[in-house]
Amino acid sequence: MSFQFSTSAAAVLFVASSALALSSAPIAAQSKKSDEQRSWTITAERVYTAEGDAIEDGEIVVEGGKIRAVGKGGGGDLKVFAVTPGLVDLSIRIDQGFLSVEQSREVTPHVRAAASLDVFDEAWMRAVRGGVTTAMVNVPDRNVIGGLSVVVKTAGELSASARVVKADAALYGAIGSAPSSGNRTASPRPEDFFVRRPTTRMGVEWEWRKALFDAAAARVDPKRAKPGDGELQRALDGKLPLVIQAWASQDIRTAVFLVEEARREGWGNPTLIVDAAAEAWREPQLLVRSKAAVVLPPFAPLGRSGDRSFFALDTAAKLEALGVPVALSGHDAEALEDRLCYQPGYAMRGGMSFASALASVTLTPARLIGVDQRVGSIKAGKDADLVLWNGEPFQPTSKVVGVLVDGRLIVDPRQAANASSSSNK
Amino acid sequence: MKHLRSTAQRFVSRGMRRASVLAAAAALCSGAALADGKLAIKAGRIVTAPDAPVIEKGVIVIENGRIAAIGKDKDVKIPWDAPVIDAPQATAFPGYVEAHVSRGMDRSNESPEIVIPFLTVRDSIDPVNFFFEDCLRAGITTINVQQGNDCIVAAQGMVVRPVGLTIDDMAVKYPAGVKMSASPRRGASAATQAQSLRRVFSDLRRYLEQIVQEKKDGSDRAHREALYQGRDLEGEKAKGRAMEGSAWKVQGLELIPRGEIDEKQEPLLALVEGKLPAFIWCGRPADVHLAIDVARENGFLARTTLVIDPSCWKAADVIAAAKVPVVLQGNVLHTEFDPLTGKEHETFVPKVLHDKKIPFALSSLNSTNQALWYQAALCVGHGLPRAAALAAITTAPSKILGLDKRVGSLEVGKDGNVLLLSGDPLSVTTWVERVVIEGRDVYDRSKDVRVQHLVAGKQPANTAAMNAEELDPSKVCCDGSDEKAHAKHLEEQKRAADKGEGGKDGEKKGDDKKGDDKDKKDEKKGDGSHDGHGHGSDDGAHTGGAEGARQ
Repeated sequence: MSFQFSTSAAAVLFVASSALALSSAPIAAQSKKSDEQRSWTITAERVYTAEGDAIEDGEIVVEGGKIRAVGKGGGGDLKVFAVTPGLVDLSIRIDQGFLSVEQSREVTPHVRAAASLDVFDEAWMRAVRGGVTTAMVNVPDRNVIGGLSVVVKTAGELSASARVVKADAALYGAIGSAPSSGNRTASPRPEDFFVRRPTTRMGVEWEWRKALFDAAAARVDPKRAKPGDGELQRALDGKLPLVIQAWASQDIRTAVFLVEEARREGWGNPTLIVDAAAEAWREPQLLVRSKAAVVLPPFAPLGRSGDRSFFALDTAAKLEALGVPVALSGHDAEALEDRLCYQPGYAMRGGMSFASALASVTLTPARLIGVDQRVGSIKAGKDADLVLWNGEPFQPTSKVVGVLVDGRLIVDPRQAANASSSSNK
Repeated sequence: MKHLRSTAQRFVSRGMRRASVLAAAAALCSGAALADGKLAIKAGRIVTAPDAPVIEKGVIVIENGRIAAIGKDKDVKIPWDAPVIDAPQATAFPGYVEAHVSRGMDRSNESPEIVIPFLTVRDSIDPVNFFFEDCLRAGITTINVQQGNDCIVAAQGMVVRPVGLTIDDMAVKYPAGVKMSASPRRGASAATQAQSLRRVFSDLRRYLEQIVQEKKDGSDRAHREALYQGRDLEGEKAKGRAMEGSAWKVQGLELIPRGEIDEKQEPLLALVEGKLPAFIWCGRPADVHLAIDVARENGFLARTTLVIDPSCWKAADVIAAAKVPVVLQGNVLHTEFDPLTGKEHETFVPKVLHDKKIPFALSSLNSTNQALWYQAALCVGHGLPRAAALAAITTAPSKILGLDKRVGSLEVGKDGNVLLLSGDPLSVTTWVERVVIEGRDVYDRSKDVRVQHLVAGKQPANTAAMNAEELDPSKVCCDGSDEKAHAKHLEEQKRAADKGEGGKDGEKKGDDKKGDDKDKKDEKKGDGSHDGHGHGSDDGAHTGGAEGARQ
């Protein structure tokens, strides 16, 4: 695959760069002004487009929030060492307090994350500093089937609707200890608010199977219809990716068996994405067989990961070699080294190639949720979501010094070069 | 050096109690018996110090634990009887130095008594603790073990090397210093903590004045107490000596034989006399003032190192003015919320320390765990010169520990602590391939079964983790990588799902490794799922607290 570069744009390239050099004053991030600068020329020693080989001494022309051209060149108004596409994180958990869980039922496929987006949350900027420009926000994992995920840009206008890339992009649920944690049986204190099912992993699995069965049954028996059937039916039909959080091996296999059961029983042919699949390395053939994709949580130097799972360092490389699509994720982590910009580095430490590691945070996740027409690579016509680096991308010795989202300069590399602290306004 | 060694030899042997269980740890730590012999290392590249030029095709000769020669291979003659480690692909680098860590002990803090300088971590260090094994894996060859931060005056620390099955084998420097805290301990207010810390030294002064007065008055209570406690009153201990120190002195202390001074007070006196280093924990910027004031008032500021929380970057000017080095603990990044705007502000702390010219060491007590090198790498990304970042894990901590003539760089006469790295020390794809400590070849990654576990999930057989696993039914996993076997037990799975937790039926299959075709097939695939019994409970000893933090 080679990157696309329109020759007509090449002529514009130098005109644009000279014109824009005049208006390169620092831009306040998240400006509310509509006339803010969304056109730039960025030069870098290396441009990693995710569409083919890296371009040495490359130049990217951004116009009106879109990538106009990419190719060789120099003399732009932003100069950095390297540029990659904006990173895509499929598992952001912004605004996921316990109280934000819909607690009336365990299966709430019709609840929409898009309806509760808080664009003022500081976690967005944290994600941006980790290089994330497109994020899938999932519903909390305290419900068995929590609801519909939303794909958004991590910065830009202070309006939830303006940031949405794809509403209702996936149906999200969880297997493992999370959906049953906190729940209690009625025996000691029947009046307790937390008396609700399921209380075990068994119960979680049962709720999943019942929900999928009921949704399939409702197709032929309208009397069984209830809210959420539509979403479940679309997921069964493979029209809505089914994203299931499952850290541990036993939960990953449960997810796979659920999907295979649905196929075998003729309920449909769901597309499975296993989120937080820390133990996917244990039984990779299951994922190959069920044509599942995985989203991996932040790598754990000592192996310990969520839900008592053990996360081997070569997981990403191993799955990739077997053809399982792998997306890395920062999971909204607060620790610096857990941020998405450093995760491909760990994947490389586990044996992945740079190109694959780059894909696992750009084009692969974008494809998995069907937004690769707009984001995921540096290509003329795509959104101008770019990450600017002061060294080789993904190395701990490098830092994300600049971030553009839809052409807006959210993190300014010219400020980062001088400031002793990395705080952003 | 001789003095240190003789001290070490007097240590009581400890730590054999778990050795039989942790066979893998023992295998890693025992090393070749080259302590008094010779060893030559031929490396493709040698980096002798953070700011030194690279020696291409270099040779390091170690004799009797010390570096005897170092240089280009054509300039250095390898002794005919020295075993040679030939690593043409590797980069040799000084072993990393840990300036302060509270791990590697088998017990938590002493709680009822909080002024305990008479205790020592020597009695608490657990030689087979996995922490030391992890240190080798991360290239850490010198470790200052100090007690935790929840104290007023805690025990005396000790510098060890992460190799050996007894404390005698491990000892590098003892005592390494006394630990104190300027931060409110659990349940205490800042004022109480400040008062308690100051009172430690006013109590010492009052005590010394009292025994001098008693001696003058002709009472020999201290003498009788010393005899009663069976203290040694021979030799140096029987002699009196005028009090030294720069801040305050008790006149007439020369009347008191040193052996008569209460052993609870004696380490504090050594501190005030400037004979013992101090490590003072500062959990908040405000604590920095207290720490520096107490150290200055009692004359040990010159031998003080502050162990700081990231938030203490705000007191950087105070630290710089006091000219004390620091050990940064907890995180390299400090995050705070602006109370007015709700905005999050991040400060990369090592950059502030570097800009203020404060000597600093990084610490493994960090969210990145052992990875001293990883933190140094982050420093480079955030604007520190490479040499400064590398110094924070080598020469700076060795200076803090007063071991700058022994460790932190590769020079003739220094300890033969050499890492052989697969690449640049700060690259994410670089591994520690070999570790040599004082001429002993103590770590070889190709033989490290546990690194195979961390990287590829291949759990070593007959390790403690395997045994713990078998006892814990919640950690059962089963092999499901074979399609046919699965089709067969899919039905079982389905039934099991109705009754109970899916997956338990596979337990026996996973354990039964011999015989059937299914297993042979899997081995060819090499997916490691057979070996994948562990959920890493082997490192539970020191990561238990963090378990499930990401849930």
